[in-house]
Amino acid sequence: MADEKVSRRDFLLYAMGAWAAVGVGSVLYAMYKTWEPLPEVKAQATVTFDLSSVEPGQIKVVSWRGKPVFVLRRTPDMAKCDGRSVKGDYTVVLGICTHLGCIPNWEPDKKIWHCPCHGGEYDACGKNIFGPPPRPLDVPPFKLEGNTIVLGEEGPEYKQMKEKGLTV
Amino acid sequence: MKFMDWLDERLAVRQLIKVMLTEYYVPKNINFLWSFGVLIMVVFAILVVSGIFLLMYYKPDSHLAFDSVNKTIMMDVEYGWLFRHTHAVAASIMFLVLYVHMARGIYYGSFKAPREIVWITGYILFVLMAATAFTGYLLPWGQMSYWAAQTITTLFEKIPFIGPDLVVWIRGNYIVEDATLTRFFALHVVFLPLLLIVFTAIHLYAVRIVGSNNEDGIELTKEEKKHGKGIPFWPVFMAKEFFVISVFLIFFFYLVFYQYKFAMDPINFTPADYLQTPTHIYPEWYFLAFYEVLRGFFFSQNLGLIAFVLSMFIAAFLPWLDTSPIKSGNHRPLYKILFFIFVADFVFLTILGKLPPTGLYAWLGFAGSLVYFAFFFALPIISRIEKKKLEGGR
Amino acid sequence: MKELKILLILVVVVLVGYWGIEPYAHSVMHGEVKKPDYNYSDLKTTAATTGDPAKGKELFVANCASCHGLKNDGINPGMDKNAAIASFNVVPPDLSNIAAILDHKFLAAFIKNPQQATENPKFAMPPMAQLSDEDVGHIIAYLSSVAKKNLDGKEITIEACGRCHSIKYQKIYAETPAENLKAYLGKVPPDLSVMGKAKELEYLETFINNPQNGLPGTSMPRLGLTKESTEKVVAYLDQIADPHREQRNKLGMWVIGYLVVMVGLTFAWKKKIWKNIH
Ligand code: HEM
Ligand code: FES
Repeated sequence: MADEKVSRRDFLLYAMGAWAAVGVGSVLYAMYKTWEPLPEVKAQATVTFDLSSVEPGQIKVVSWRGKPVFVLRRTPDMAKCDGRSVKGDYTVVLGICTHLGCIPNWEPDKKIWHCPCHGGEYDACGKNIFGPPPRPLDVPPFKLEGNTIVLGEEGPEYKQMKEKGLTV
Repeated sequence: MKFMDWLDERLAVRQLIKVMLTEYYVPKNINFLWSFGVLIMVVFAILVVSGIFLLMYYKPDSHLAFDSVNKTIMMDVEYGWLFRHTHAVAASIMFLVLYVHMARGIYYGSFKAPREIVWITGYILFVLMAATAFTGYLLPWGQMSYWAAQTITTLFEKIPFIGPDLVVWIRGNYIVEDATLTRFFALHVVFLPLLLIVFTAIHLYAVRIVGSNNEDGIELTKEEKKHGKGIPFWPVFMAKEFFVISVFLIFFFYLVFYQYKFAMDPINFTPADYLQTPTHIYPEWYFLAFYEVLRGFFFSQNLGLIAFVLSMFIAAFLPWLDTSPIKSGNHRPLYKILFFIFVADFVFLTILGKLPPTGLYAWLGFAGSLVYFAFFFALPIISRIEKKKLEGGR
Repeated sequence: MKELKILLILVVVVLVGYWGIEPYAHSVMHGEVKKPDYNYSDLKTTAATTGDPAKGKELFVANCASCHGLKNDGINPGMDKNAAIASFNVVPPDLSNIAAILDHKFLAAFIKNPQQATENPKFAMPPMAQLSDEDVGHIIAYLSSVAKKNLDGKEITIEACGRCHSIKYQKIYAETPAENLKAYLGKVPPDLSVMGKAKELEYLETFINNPQNGLPGTSMPRLGLTKESTEKVVAYLDQIADPHREQRNKLGMWVIGYLVVMVGLTFAWKKKIWKNIH
């Protein structure tokens, strides 16, 4: 008799607790959602850029999701890259050193990127050729539409590069 | 269980649970009005949590504040509108819950010895909450926000000698401007909530020491409460408390989702404009009664101001105005009548506070203000009558 | 039972107070909102409201195109935007769709006497006194023939309000620069982003129909929108001011449903615990 009473009370108490937990969970979900990037931020997720605006030998920096993307139009005296070119002689790489995240500088006379932080170096294809960086500069997701490149979307060219492991 | 033993050795949790919950007794003859203290804490928790989430997108700058609230929070942040509605409605409903809590105390004589400290700390909490709401109301930087702050800060001008300088000091500018907004923001989100928490702790501690009053106003010893005249706080009292809280939350969220306009005035959806006062301005509903006392003495601004300040603080002195040895209104026929007249008058003043102060309304406001004070000044008199009766009866 | 009595007192006090500070106070403060008049019955005009579109086009080119463009028919204004702003402090509207959103009787009266029709003595467009009553009819017929039908609320709002008002939360900016509007109207017209919340919708409808009925002395001109256009504008302003209404109403039901279950559970538990206490 006494035991049964206790268990009934406990059952209701547990049910109440469980139901309260559902409520708390929903509130936490709403809180979680408030931290998502705002619509304006999400709108910056893709950036379009006209490749033909870059002169041979010139380098332009495009801001994509707040990060610098280097667009280099190579000249014949620079490193040859085959697979790492997004198109023709264009190198498009994320300008963030793969060592610890500094932004490398282009050295026009040597035709390499040199990282100010720990002296890492990359050639005109973004390949690491000296110093601590463990791998080449990343190629951001891109899609080609003629001479225009859309950063932030994965086009067929990007997917191919990714399969070959050339994007990282 | 092992873990409980481990904890018990270090923190004496079993003892704590006994003292605080299972062997803390409250009288059996209390009704749901005694649940309102916990309701206040629930509403306070809601305010803090929703406030923290508003804080993540709110910008305390006179150029950015309005858009950060009305665009970013209300439109762009996922569920931002929910947190804002909740915060605004909770701030408003806080005062309803507070007023019921206070009226309970007045009716059942809970302010009398030995509960003077409970009453005074409670009153400080009310004043702090009023200050929190007032400073918070400026933050969305709408027309109502702005003109409420402008007019209320102007009241300080009437203080002799230092008034005009004081107003400029409070505002940090000649008018309410960016400096005012930023300092109100600091008060609203850090300083006042901290004080509220500190005084809540003292208030609760004082309640625990002297125990709860009850419907009959007859003090019970711990032994009496343990043996039949009381119930343990946990689980018996809390079982009812949970039910009351759930019912209250239905009412509360109904307002949040479907009836929020009373807490989010349409006028405040126009950005602050310091060159144009809206045609109708009025405080939030919970200040209307005091505001009406201010306007009630329409023939003299100074008298109105004094009455206004007095009306805000006079109830703090109840323990010394009402000296009758009988506590509960249930056993004080005369007091009971006065009490309900007072409640009706408070509602009356609240309604008048929103109406234009002209013609008949002005006179009604004056009459209502007099009734408001009459309640307090009648208390010493009826106390004496009751004392005499009691002595005669013996 | 006793507790129910207390609850009843509490509820009555709260309801009386609520009635006083909301419905009652609002009825005292705002009084009756005047009904909109879509017949524009105060405007007496003998001008025709229809005629021959082909003649209308000629008249348009000769009389209106020096200031107004008509993109739908490939007509550019004779004056570029900046020159217009310099001389009028406001951009003259492109008239492509004007006949679809304005009442034609209003339009006829307006062409003859803009200051009277808009109830704004400083209205920038000069009266077209040189046009006969029939000419006005031809022009309106022409404007009707080129106007796009079925404009939505947003398009109408931009056409009707967008020369002077910004709606910055929608990234819509007034065509005329603020300082010129200030010189023209005496103040910068308010942003409309949350106007649907700042004002009652009925009031908005009356106000748009005739600004002087809502805000006597205002420098906003009467626009002469048809009933349908006015309603679409109001609906649009309402929707952009409260974009989450649907989500809110739906979520509200879930939350209240959740709490009803909670009340059931807490009530059962209380019953159980209090069974032996009397
Ligand atoms: C302690 C009781 C509190 C009361 C009575 C209160 C009251 C108010 C009021 C009346 C408003 C204006 C309502 C409106 O949004 O239209 C407001 C806004 C605000 N409150 Fe509080 N509040 C309290 C606590 C807090 C706390 C603890 C925080 C943060 C830690 C906070 C953060 C904010 C913020 C950021 C705003 C501006 C956003 C907005 O106006 O929507 N509040 N508060
Ligand atoms: S971060 Fe570039 S080399 Fe270390």
